[in-house]
Amino acid sequence: MSIIQSQDKSAVAHPGPDKTNSIEQVRYGCSIGAMQSVAAIPRAIPITHCGPGCADKQFMNLSFYNGFQGGGYGGGAVVPSTNASEREVVFGGADRLTELIGATLKVLDADLFVVLTGCISDLVGDDVGSVVKPFQQRGVPIVFAETGGFRGNNFTGHELVTRAIIDQFVGAYEGERVKGQVNVWSLLPYHNTFWRGDLTEIKRILEGIGLKVNILFGPESSGVAEWKAIPQAQFNLVLGPWLGLETARHLEAKYGQPFLHTPVLPIGAKETGAFLRRVLDYAGLNKGRAKKKAEAFIKDEETRYYKYIEDFTDFYAEYWWGLPAKFAVVGDSAYALALTRFLVNQLGLIPGRQIVTDNPPEEVRDDIRAQFRAIADDVSTEIEFEEDSFTIHQKLRETNFGHKPPIIFGTTWERDLAKELKGAIVEVGFPSSYEVVLSRAYVGYRGALTLLEKIYTTTVGASA
Amino acid sequence: MPINLKTSVVESREQRLGTIIGWDGKASDLSKESAYARGGCESKCGQKARRVCELNSPFTQGSVCSEQMVECQAGNVRDAVLIQHSPIGCGTGQVIYNSIYRNGLALRGLPVSNLHLISTNLGERDMVFGGVAKLERTIRDAWDRHHPKAIFIATSCATAIIGDDIESVAGQLETELGIPVIPLHCEGFKSKHWSTGFDATQHGILRQIVRKVPEKKQDDLVNVINLWGSDVFTPILAELGLRVNYVVDLATVEDLAQMSEAVATIGFCYTLSSYMAAALEQEFGVTEVKAPQPYGFAGTDAWLREIARVTNREGRAEDYIAREHARVQPRLEELRELLKGKKGYVSTGSAYAHGLIGVLRELGVEVDGSLVFHHDPVYDSQDPRQDSLAHLLDTYGEVPQFTVGNRQQYQFYALLQRVKPDFIIIRHNGLAPLAARLGIPAIPLGDEHHAVGYQGILNLGESILDVLAHKKFHQDLAAHVRLPYRKWWLEQDDPFVLARPAAE
Repeated sequence: MSIIQSQDKSAVAHPGPDKTNSIEQVRYGCSIGAMQSVAAIPRAIPITHCGPGCADKQFMNLSFYNGFQGGGYGGGAVVPSTNASEREVVFGGADRLTELIGATLKVLDADLFVVLTGCISDLVGDDVGSVVKPFQQRGVPIVFAETGGFRGNNFTGHELVTRAIIDQFVGAYEGERVKGQVNVWSLLPYHNTFWRGDLTEIKRILEGIGLKVNILFGPESSGVAEWKAIPQAQFNLVLGPWLGLETARHLEAKYGQPFLHTPVLPIGAKETGAFLRRVLDYAGLNKGRAKKKAEAFIKDEETRYYKYIEDFTDFYAEYWWGLPAKFAVVGDSAYALALTRFLVNQLGLIPGRQIVTDNPPEEVRDDIRAQFRAIADDVSTEIEFEEDSFTIHQKLRETNFGHKPPIIFGTTWERDLAKELKGAIVEVGFPSSYEVVLSRAYVGYRGALTLLEKIYTTTVGASA
Repeated sequence: MPINLKTSVVESREQRLGTIIGWDGKASDLSKESAYARGGCESKCGQKARRVCELNSPFTQGSVCSEQMVECQAGNVRDAVLIQHSPIGCGTGQVIYNSIYRNGLALRGLPVSNLHLISTNLGERDMVFGGVAKLERTIRDAWDRHHPKAIFIATSCATAIIGDDIESVAGQLETELGIPVIPLHCEGFKSKHWSTGFDATQHGILRQIVRKVPEKKQDDLVNVINLWGSDVFTPILAELGLRVNYVVDLATVEDLAQMSEAVATIGFCYTLSSYMAAALEQEFGVTEVKAPQPYGFAGTDAWLREIARVTNREGRAEDYIAREHARVQPRLEELRELLKGKKGYVSTGSAYAHGLIGVLRELGVEVDGSLVFHHDPVYDSQDPRQDSLAHLLDTYGEVPQFTVGNRQQYQFYALLQRVKPDFIIIRHNGLAPLAARLGIPAIPLGDEHHAVGYQGILNLGESILDVLAHKKFHQDLAAHVRLPYRKWWLEQDDPFVLARPAAE
């Protein structure tokens, strides 16, 4: 496919007149970084048709030096790759890709292969569809997505890969829908450092209210069988400010499947209860025995949650040596919004500066702004969309955090800045090179408690 | 063949040295096939390096590109900025190289800070209309933000294909800003091995930073071409009354500029130092020390004596050598006892592996196999005294299973089955995860100086003892994982079976 035909949904190429194109200290990868979205599906393996460094770069940074999350089943940096050379640039890489796919099928055992292209293939115009098609016709579970780095960031790539799997692997569906079954489209795997734990908690609480959940990515997914079951679901749930909306709209058009969009990832009992009740209403499970069962689950979770909160209160009310009052959030829109709501509404912290770094499409930015303006009945806050860390750090330096230093919810890039401002840093997004993350979650009931532990261990740990 | 600094594009390793990335056999056979061919190189090599037959497999796994090596060299110069002229994906590497930079600074006792890499962040429109205006803007940003002493520009696959004229912008802004603005041509597709990226960085530094007319000859200054490793060279060279000039990582632009004033150039690995050391000798008469690398007793002895010889300090080396031998001997005896019967496997860069295998043999560890990420049949100097593979063979004997492969994990399975090591030594990522799943622990050498010199022998021995204890973790894991490789593949004895015609 030529580059003219593709759809550039991100604003990556269109900075305003005084806004620089420069990005210092990156906060996302490029489209082919969505190889990690493939790696997030159990027993799926990406095949990368790109230069020799692309797979290594995306994996080592999005996964390794971001919580040290590991390579998963397919191998991280050493997934199949054409390692394109001058020959593929001059003569095209279609033959080489055919050869690689053929050899991959001999060597690797997977339930789904996803071919992702890089800049070289997309610029020289390799007809990747024609390469992949004969394999598909032979019944090989393989799809392709054109994810050259110039097309946008790894959020863009994620939606391209998701769509490729739906259109080329899941395919047409004429059967019944299963009431109470839901497909969840939420955090960007690997890029969000805590996605595994978070998706686990999201699945747990949705099942808690009686839903059957296709979580699709991560350790709680049952892999391609779950993807095949996408069209059976009663509805799609887009959980987050914007990522997944395009997929949900596509599924609506393709299967006539409706979707519920809840922009706020719930953290803490108040948010989570409201979220679950909204899903219940939408799913039509808000009556009779279903409702009773769901309410019992919510009540049970709340009881446990508030027992811990009560114990935490002794510390929160009595600790002598100072706790932060104002905070800044620098992160992708999903976490920035979720954290801000929790910090304001649960802990009573004061928002100082909110910067959203995932470059959301223009058409959703006003909605995101509106969410932050309505963070609480009595708290409204403005956000900025910015991806260049030099600019971000200047903005943080210029922020008046009042009489004591702030706590910054950010990334490794803010580590030195927090020191400079004599504040604290909690790394909550890409890159988190100073966090080792396994199953930790920050959302839902359980995640909120872990988040409290993290915040206040950081604070207390820095005391004398 | 002489190094050509006249053009801004570096010649790739395969062009200059005949570098290969696929080979399997006995180390002695590879040595025979290589250009040195036991000392006869000068007459035989001619203007082109000798070719070694190479195995090309249709199945390949992700490698590493030249641009990444530029990031980890030019991007780690303390008072410079590296611009990545590319779509944002190349910039993703800022994360790992920042972590390496910070840890390297800490290792050397320097103030820790984030590195200075800036992406021009090219998008779809730029692929059609060109990205030069954005490059200019980013160069100006780099200057306004950091007032660096030099600005490097790393090219990318995308900018090479669309044909951006980087030279013109760089030249114009170099004049305007009054600092070197240095294009480094390092497109991933241009070379089959990432080490060309080392050469690309060094080429740019030689052309635009190193002082053409040295201000003063510094007779006690030795260039040490390394990465971010701990400072083990200062105390060693101080014994000879010499000072260390570490380049390229963690150096300042002035450190780089004064390389032409030094008396000699050394390194920890000829793979890394080959290009710049040879060019410094060719262009500025700075002697490249041509000796075995500083690993094990024989290598370190010969290396020290050669440094002493070329710097006219011969008398001072012998006393130090004798003292060090005596100092490390008692613990070495203990380590040899503790490591008796253990098998090791080395999978690192090429010349570095030659050194490490020697250290393992000094420790009494059996080394029946090794995987090197590429092989240079000759280094740039073409001087047989640098034939690190021959030194290994002559000093420590045969390595029966010697393999060249650019980090192909699928081949690593069969390689490990052949020798069944107790532990492996690695540098690049991607191989240890497989070994781990087979119950074999790895020593990752983040500090590349860990095994250098006499103390290095002990260091490595201690690290082996530490990692052998890890076996418990790995064997527990091995019982609970499934590999992604097909049964047919796992049954193959020949890791290159797909590369041979009979496989079809």
